Amino acid sequence: MKNSAWLLIVFLLTMVSSPYLFAQSKTGLQVIESVYNRPNGSDMSADLTMTLINARGDQRVRKIKQFSKEFGKDEKKIMFFISPADVKNTSFMNWSYGDAGKDDDQWIYLPALKKTKRISSDSKSDYFMGSDFTYDDLGDRLPSEDNHKILKEEKVQDELCYVIESKSKNSGYMYSKTITWVVKDKWVAVKKEFYDEEGKLLKILTVEEYKTINNFLIVTKTLIKNIQTNHATEMKLENIIIDGGISNDKFTERTMTKGL
Amino acid sequence: MKYIIVLLLLVTGYPLLGQEVNFSGYVRGYSGMFAGNDNYDFVILQNTLNLVAEKKGEGASFRVNPYFYHYKQDSLVIGMREAYIDLEAGNLALRLGKQQIVWGKADGVFITDIISPKNLEEFLLPDFAEIRMGVTGAKLNYYFENNTIELVFLPVFTPTKLPAKSSVWSPVLNFPVAPVFDYSRSEVNPALENTEVYLKYSSLSGSIDYEVMAGYMWDDDAAMYTSLTPNGAGGMNLKITPEHNRLTVAGGSFSTTVGPLVLRGEGAYYSGKKFMTTTPQLNSGITEKDYIHYMAGTDFALYDIQVSTQIIQKSILEYSSDLQSNYSFNGENSTMMTLLLKYSALNETLDFELFSYYDFEFDDSLIRPRIVYDYSDSINLQFGANIFTGDSGQFGQYNLNDMIYAKVLYNF
Repeated sequence: MKNSAWLLIVFLLTMVSSPYLFAQSKTGLQVIESVYNRPNGSDMSADLTMTLINARGDQRVRKIKQFSKEFGKDEKKIMFFISPADVKNTSFMNWSYGDAGKDDDQWIYLPALKKTKRISSDSKSDYFMGSDFTYDDLGDRLPSEDNHKILKEEKVQDELCYVIESKSKNSGYMYSKTITWVVKDKWVAVKKEFYDEEGKLLKILTVEEYKTINNFLIVTKTLIKNIQTNHATEMKLENIIIDGGISNDKFTERTMTKGL
Repeated sequence: MKYIIVLLLLVTGYPLLGQEVNFSGYVRGYSGMFAGNDNYDFVILQNTLNLVAEKKGEGASFRVNPYFYHYKQDSLVIGMREAYIDLEAGNLALRLGKQQIVWGKADGVFITDIISPKNLEEFLLPDFAEIRMGVTGAKLNYYFENNTIELVFLPVFTPTKLPAKSSVWSPVLNFPVAPVFDYSRSEVNPALENTEVYLKYSSLSGSIDYEVMAGYMWDDDAAMYTSLTPNGAGGMNLKITPEHNRLTVAGGSFSTTVGPLVLRGEGAYYSGKKFMTTTPQLNSGITEKDYIHYMAGTDFALYDIQVSTQIIQKSILEYSSDLQSNYSFNGENSTMMTLLLKYSALNETLDFELFSYYDFEFDDSLIRPRIVYDYSDSINLQFGANIFTGDSGQFGQYNLNDMIYAKVLYNF
C-alpha cells in the first residue's frame, strides 16, 4: 500500500512538472509572451549584415554596427551604417518603451546635413533600409497588442513547435494576421508568415540559425522573402557580445554624430 | 590667429600617428540645360571630386574634405570644405580648424543655422552640404547625458559668397542709376575684437529635443551704404559701399512628436540689422532695426508619401515706411513656405521627390522635382528640374533660368 501511494505521488508530480502537460495548459498569449520575455542579456553589440536579393538574384549588401541595452522596462538601440558608401556614418537611434501605448522615440543622424533629426515612429509599416523588414517586424511588438490562438503543433527543422495565429486588436494594422512557429520550451520563433490586409500571404520569415551565447538563445541568421514581389532579405549577426557592459553614454546624440 | 590654429592642429595631431586613414567621397558628373528660354544652353557642365580623409584615434581624430570642381571651360576650382582636428577628454570635445557648423531644426532655411555662411554662386541649387561653407575657428562641446553646451569661437569672419556679376545667378539690383561700388570697407580683419562668438545649449529627450542659442556675430550679408554726389551734368553719381555690421542674435528651436506628426519650430531675434532706406541722403541710406525670424513645420507620412512642410516669417520691429524693400524683406512681414514630398519605390532604390519654396509676398516660387535611382550600391543617377515661377522676388528674378539636369554619382 505504501509503495502504491509513493508511486501515485511520483506519478502525479511527474505529470504536473511535465513540459507536455504544462504546455498543454499554455494559451497562445502565454506562448508569445514566453518568446517576448525570453532572456537575451541586458546589453548586446553585434555586426549586422543585411543582404537584399531582388527577383533576378542581384544582391545589395548593407553593413551595420548595432548596440542595444535594456533600461528597466525600456530598451535603447543605436545603429551605425558602415556601407554602402552613400549611407556611411548615418546613424539611427531608437528608444522603445515597455509601457503599452507609448510610442518609440527615433532619431536619424544624416552626415551630409550634419543634423540629427527626430523622426516619427508611427510609420512602422515603412521598410527598413530597402529591406523586406518593416520597422514593426524588427521591433519588439508587445504581445498585448494582438489576440493569439494556438492553431496546432508541428515540427519545423526537426523541432516541435506551437503554431500561433496572431491578429491585431487594431483594425488599421498592416497585417491581417501573422502565423508564428515557436519551438517548445526554447521559446524561439523559427518561422513566421505575414498576411497582407486582404488576407493573402505576403512574406515568410525563416530563422536559419540560432546559437547559445552566454547561456542566451540568440537568433543569428534569418531570411525573409516577400512572396508577392520575390524580393528577399537575409540578415546575419556576427561578433555578438552579450552583457559586455555597454555604457549608457552610447545611446546619446553625441555618439550618433561622432560615429564609430 | 590663423597661425595659432594651424600650430595647434600640428602639435595636437600626434596621438593620431599609427592609425589608419579612411578615404571616402564621391565623383559626380553634372549637366544642366536651360529650359526657360529658347536657347537650351548647357548652363552647367561640371565634374566634381569630393574627397574625405578621416583618421580616428583614442582621444583625437581628424577630417580633411577637399573638393575639386572642373567646369566646361576647363577651369578647375579647388577648395577645402573642412579641415579640422578633434580632441576629446571625458565630457569635453574640442574641434579646431575649418568646419561646417549646423544648428537648428528648420530645413532649407537659415534662422539659427547662421554660423556657416552660404555659397550662393549657384543660388540655392547645390546640395546644402555644398552651400554651407566651412568657418575657421574653435568649437568646444561639453556633454552631460543627452545635453550639450557648445561654444563657438570664430576669429576669421567668412561672408556670404555671392555670384559673379556675369553669372546667371547674379541677383537683380534695384538702383535708380548705375552705381559705383567701393569695396574698401567690405573686409573684416581677423582680430580679437572682430571675433564671432556663439553659445548653444541643446537637449535630446524622449518627449522633446530643443536648442537655445545666442551669438555675437557679423552679418554675413553686407549693408549697402549709399552716397549721392552731383556729377556736374545735372545728374547724380551713386556710390555703394558694402560693409558688414555686427548682429546680436538669440533664439531657439525644438522638435517633438505628436502621434504620427513630427512638429518642429525655430525662431530668433536679431538685433542691430542695417536696412537700406529710400532716403540715401540721410545716414548713408541706412537705418538700424531689429527683426525676428521664425518657422513652424511638420513632417508626416500620407499613405506612402513622406511630407514635410514649413511656414517661415520675418517681421521687422518698429517698421517704418522708408525702409527699402528687397527680396529678403518686403515690407513689415515677409512670409514663405516650403514643401517636400517624397515617395520611394523598388525597395528604396527609386525615389520621386518634389521640393518647393513659395514666397507669399512676391507670389514666386522655386519648384524642384527630382527622380533618384540607385543603379547599384555605388552608382546613383539623378534627373531633375529647377522651375522658377513669378516675375520678381528671390525666385521670380530667375524666371528665365528654368533648367533640367542629370547627375551621375559614384560613391566610394
